[in-house]
Order: sequence, then C-alpha cells, then structure tokens
Amino acid sequence: MSPLAAAQLEGARERVRVFAQYDHAFEEKCDVVVVGSGPSGSVAAFELAAAGHDVILLEEGPPFTTRDFELDGNLSMTRTMREGGLRMTRGTTMPTMQAVALGGGSLVNSAICVRPPDSVFERWSSRYDLERTDRANLDPHFDAIADFLGIGPTPDEVQGPRNLLFRDGCDALGIASEPIERNVRHCRGSGECFTGCRSRAKQSMDVSYVPAALAAGARVFTSVQVQEIRRSGRRVTGVSGQVVAPFSHGRASGRSHTFRIEAKAVVLAAGCTATPVLLQHSDDLANASGQVGRNLQFHPGVAIAGVFPEAVDSQFGATQGYQSLAFLDEGFKLETLWAPPPLLAIRFPGIGADLQARLAELPQIAIFDAIASANRSLGRVRKRFRSLEPVLEWRLHPDDAQILRRALHVIAQIFFAAGAKKILPGVGGIADVIHSVEEVAILDSSAVKPSGLVMGGNHVFCTTRMHGDPTRGVVDEDGRAHDLENLYIADTGIFPQCPSVNPMFTGMALARRQAQVLSGRL
Amino acid sequence: MLTGLLLVVLAAGLAVFVHRRGFAGYAPAPAGLAVLHAGEAAFVHAVAEVLFPAGGGMALSGAESQLAHSVDRHLAALPRAQRIQIRLLFHAVEHLTLFMAGNEPGGRRRFSSLSAAARVNLLERLAHHRRSGFRLLFTALRSVFVLAYLGHPGNLHGLGLAPFEIEPVVSDAEVLFPRVGALPSSIPFGAGDRTDPAARGPLDPNGPRHPAYARAGQQGRGEA
Repeated sequence: MSPLAAAQLEGARERVRVFAQYDHAFEEKCDVVVVGSGPSGSVAAFELAAAGHDVILLEEGPPFTTRDFELDGNLSMTRTMREGGLRMTRGTTMPTMQAVALGGGSLVNSAICVRPPDSVFERWSSRYDLERTDRANLDPHFDAIADFLGIGPTPDEVQGPRNLLFRDGCDALGIASEPIERNVRHCRGSGECFTGCRSRAKQSMDVSYVPAALAAGARVFTSVQVQEIRRSGRRVTGVSGQVVAPFSHGRASGRSHTFRIEAKAVVLAAGCTATPVLLQHSDDLANASGQVGRNLQFHPGVAIAGVFPEAVDSQFGATQGYQSLAFLDEGFKLETLWAPPPLLAIRFPGIGADLQARLAELPQIAIFDAIASANRSLGRVRKRFRSLEPVLEWRLHPDDAQILRRALHVIAQIFFAAGAKKILPGVGGIADVIHSVEEVAILDSSAVKPSGLVMGGNHVFCTTRMHGDPTRGVVDEDGRAHDLENLYIADTGIFPQCPSVNPMFTGMALARRQAQVLSGRL
Repeated sequence: MLTGLLLVVLAAGLAVFVHRRGFAGYAPAPAGLAVLHAGEAAFVHAVAEVLFPAGGGMALSGAESQLAHSVDRHLAALPRAQRIQIRLLFHAVEHLTLFMAGNEPGGRRRFSSLSAAARVNLLERLAHHRRSGFRLLFTALRSVFVLAYLGHPGNLHGLGLAPFEIEPVVSDAEVLFPRVGALPSSIPFGAGDRTDPAARGPLDPNGPRHPAYARAGQQGRGEA
C-alpha cells in the first residue's frame, strides 16, 4: 500500500471517534458493522469500505500513539491485554493473552506471517466438508495482503546475534530454517514488538489497514464495547453496547453512554475468545449446532533459555526473526523469541543470589520456542457470570504433551549445536540447568510430566468453527453463520483446526475472501 | 444463652486474632502507595530483601529497588479481579507460617516478621514442596517480584538491556489518533509531518539507550 495522500488522511480523521468525544448515547446506521479491529476485522472493514459500502469498525480498546507505548513490559500488558495480561486457562493451567487496542493483537505481536502448508488445508477440507479452502483459492488473498503490508523475510541486518544463533544451530544439525516473514517495513531491530513498535516499522493494523479503511470512507469508533447482537428472525439488525474508558478493563464508568448501530450485516471479529461469549450473551445466537464456544484449541508453546559464553546483544534484533518449519509433520514449529526481559525471566529458577546470578546472565541468553499443533487438546469457552469475560477450559492431551517434549529436545540440541554453554529448560521435575548435549535426552523422556511443562498459548482457534455441515459447525465456508442470513464471523474462531503455523496471516486471508463474498451479497 | 455467649466470645477472640495477625504492628507504609496497605508493603519489602539480596551481581538489591512502589503501580493498573488474586497471594504467604512455621523460635510469626534466614528457608520449602499447589504459590510469588525487580530501569540498564533511545516518528496513526484519553483537537501532527520510515537504518546495538533508563542506571551506581 502506498502512503495515503494528505487529503485522504485529513478527511479520515473526522471519521474517528475516541473516548473523550463521547458525551451522550448515540445511534448510527451503516451497511456493515465490524466488531473488532484486529487483523481479520481490519482487513474486512477495509475491503468492504473500498468496495463502496458504508462501514463502521468498532473497537473496545483505544488507539495508541507511539507516546502511549509503555516500555515496562509488565505495565504494558495491563494496558494492552485483557485481564491485564494475566488470563489463564482452567483444566491445564496456561497463560493466554488477548489484546484490547485498536489493531488488536497486531499492535503487540511479533508480526509473523506464515502461510500454512497444503497439508493443513487438505486436512481442513476433508474433515470439515470445505470445498474452497485451499492454497490455490487463498493464495491470491495471501498475495494481496502481503503486498499491502510489505510482508517479507526478516533481513540479516536486523536479526541480531540471538536470532542468527538459531540459524547456526540448525545449520550445524542439518535442520532447515529460514528468516521469518513479517508484516514489517524498515525494521530497526529494537526487539520491542510486544510493547508496541516505536519505530512504526511494524505494519500493525492501526498504521495500515485501519487508516486505509478510514481513507476509503469507513468510520472507526474506539472505546466501545459491544454487548449484544440484535436479531429479528433469521437476520441480525445490528449491535448495541456501551462506551468504556481506556484501560478500564471493560468496566462501566461515568461516561458509560450506550450506543446502538443498525446495519444490513454484522461481521464479528472480536477474537476467538470474545466472539463466542458475545454470541452466548446475545441469547445464544447462531448456536443451533451447539458448537459455539466448543472445540477450543491452542498452539501451546514451550521455550528454553540458552546461555552463551559471551553476550549476544540480546536487546538488539527482530523480536522473532528466525524459524524452522522442518518439524511441522511431527506437529511443531520452531522459532526464536524475545520479549521484555522481566517477562522472560519469570521462569528463571532460584532464590536470592542464585536467582540474581541467573538474571545477571540475561545479556548472554537467547530464547528459542516451539508451538505445537495440539489438535487433540480441546476445551471450550463460556461466558463468566455477570461478565463478558470468558472462562477458558482446556486440557493438554497426553499425545500433544509428547509433541512438546520432542520439541524441547530438538530446541536443546539446537542450542548446544549453536555453542550454548548451558540451557535453562524451565520444566518442572527435572534439573533447572542442563550443561551438555549428552544430558538433553531427558527432555524427551517420561521424566517430563505434562504437569511439569510450562506453556503459553496465545494462538486460539475453533470456538466458532467453519464446517460445511450446519449441524457440526457455526459458520459456512464464507464465514456466514449457518443460522442467520447476514451474520459473519471473521476471526481465528472459524478455523476448523489449529493451522500449525502462526495464524494471523491465514485469518486475514480468510477475512478478505469473506469480505468480497459479503460485498457481493449486499 | 450460654451457647450464644460462647459464640460471641469466640467471634470477638477471632476478630482480635485477625486484627493482631493481619493488621497490627506493621510500620507505616511508604508514602505514595495507591493500593498496598502497610502490611502488604511490609510483606513486599520482606520478600524483596531475601529474593534479591545486596551483593547479588545486579545493579540494585531488592530493598534498593523500592519494589513496594512498582508492585503497587502494577496492582493499580490491573483489573479488580486480578488485583485481588495477587493480594490474596501476598496474604497467603504472609500468614503461611500459621501452618508452615519458620525454622526459628517464634516461627509462627508473620512471614515479614521472620529473620532473613527463616524467610529464605520458608521460600525454599515452598519452592520444593511435594504438593504442586505450594510450588505454584511460590512460582506465582516469584513471578510478581521478578517482574517488578527486573523491570526497575536501574537493573535493566545495569544489564545493558534497557530499551534503545529511538527518535520520535510520525506515522498515519499519529496523524489520525490523539493520545489515549485526549481529544482529536490535541493531535499535533498533520499529514505533512509524517516521517520517512526508510530514512533510518537499523539501530546500533551499542547505541544510546532510553534516557530514563540511563538516568536510573547512573543513580543506581551513585552517579546521579
């Protein structure tokens, strides 16, 4: 996307509403209301506005300027994440983060854009009665989005040593690896994707698709929480809710004016955990199949810290710059990882001087992680009592735990092949520190109990899954709810299974396809 | 009648116990705390002292890092439910000595009243407890404190891990949106103010760090 013209931008500003502007209840009408400004919602809003439709994009969080970014990772999470970044699953306990900001997760993710391999779509199509969801059909959408966002491989000049060590370790072991493709232009290597890119190199939605949607005529209302989808027969008529203050975590305040928006069609893109709750809160909408909120899947992730003999300039470099897709058939993907150091250090072992000694090694540390295709580990989302926050119930399946063990073993081997002097596996029930490659086999053994795995799961799927059979899925292949004529869902909840790779790009491609279909139906 | 009297006496006794155990005898809280009360601040200090002692290879010790203030800022920014959970965590460990006495005479005093050695011993026992619930308690507690301690600008700067100094940029977002909480009329930029993202190359890994972190680092080394 070429830069927006000055006149486009100045006019677009008039179509933005922020918290400070709301001084009374309001009602609006439009062709399409899109709920949620994350990657999928922003793409849908832009495509529909560019096609000439009157679009309103709603976002519960505020827009952030670079001066609003909080460098302290801990405080940043309280401002950009639901439940202050402390959301956890029940069953198998695992932290999971969902953003609340204009641009959604794209504001605070590491911009990874990976197309799933054919095998993922073949599985989706064969098991979920889908006819057009394959690479051939989606590649034009992937291509268009890649062109719009400048998606490309992370250049070596901003990899920094900690990313290149991963490449070196993989090379030494004969494991294929490659620079991660990201929606970033002119990355400077600040390593602070998770707290917001102060260089504005990351093409998060708030600097890319949302401005483009505004320029195309869309209106964008921030700090508005949708609480109900309104329905009449087999059609939805719009949404209603209330204004919420920034960083209030959705709680009503003195300015909690209500709003109501009538629309010819509603696109729900509130995210895989919020969308099903919103449907449940709207009189169990679109749930004739009984599948709303069910089938919850994650990409549970595990990570190891490797300590190198010398400092690795760990603050410098792309947040996540290198990956290996060599083990996708075994069920996991490998990546490099960085985050605000305090967040990385919370798993470091020890007390007192021992703990401080580990913290003092941070400049010599690189982190490699794996995300697993945990298709057998299922759960569900349900609405919390008197709240729009979700309860996430999920259990790690023993077979998926085995995938994670295997992934840990491979990561450990890569570290030692790259020259690490020791690793901190961060796994309960085994040694805190492993000093040689001869010792790493324990990671792939029964000594590592599922309860000892320390996981995180920020990729969430399947809670409103698409399925060709209306009795087994919530939406059809175009993202339209089986039960309703004009309700669409465009977020990772519609994935029928986890995609095995980072989901943002796939979500955007599906949203683009859906928006074009919806545009033709309006 | 007698039963009622007994219940009243028991309730009064319990109230006195809870007051003395939970609220009485703490030093006043440091000024400027929004959430933590005196007992919680004392607990934070007591944990910080033993988790991050002086001379541990970091720029600042736990006591020097004034963790009560950073924990307080974190709690104040959290949703109510999460704030309550963390405060309950503090209270659970502070009064854990009722069930898991410190290894010294008077070991059933509050955690914050134990000697440093007894506090370390108790945390070690928690960390390696055979029951996962106790281990989880310790892990959660340590996480809260590591976030606050390592998040201190002086400690990050001391490790060379402070954020880089980055020249302000103006993108479409800065032209379209006001700062959080402000009106659009406050936006200081127009379309012509947008900066050229291609004009700046990769950062220098040894380049300057954010001034606030650099200042904190100097103060930590007594160079202010």
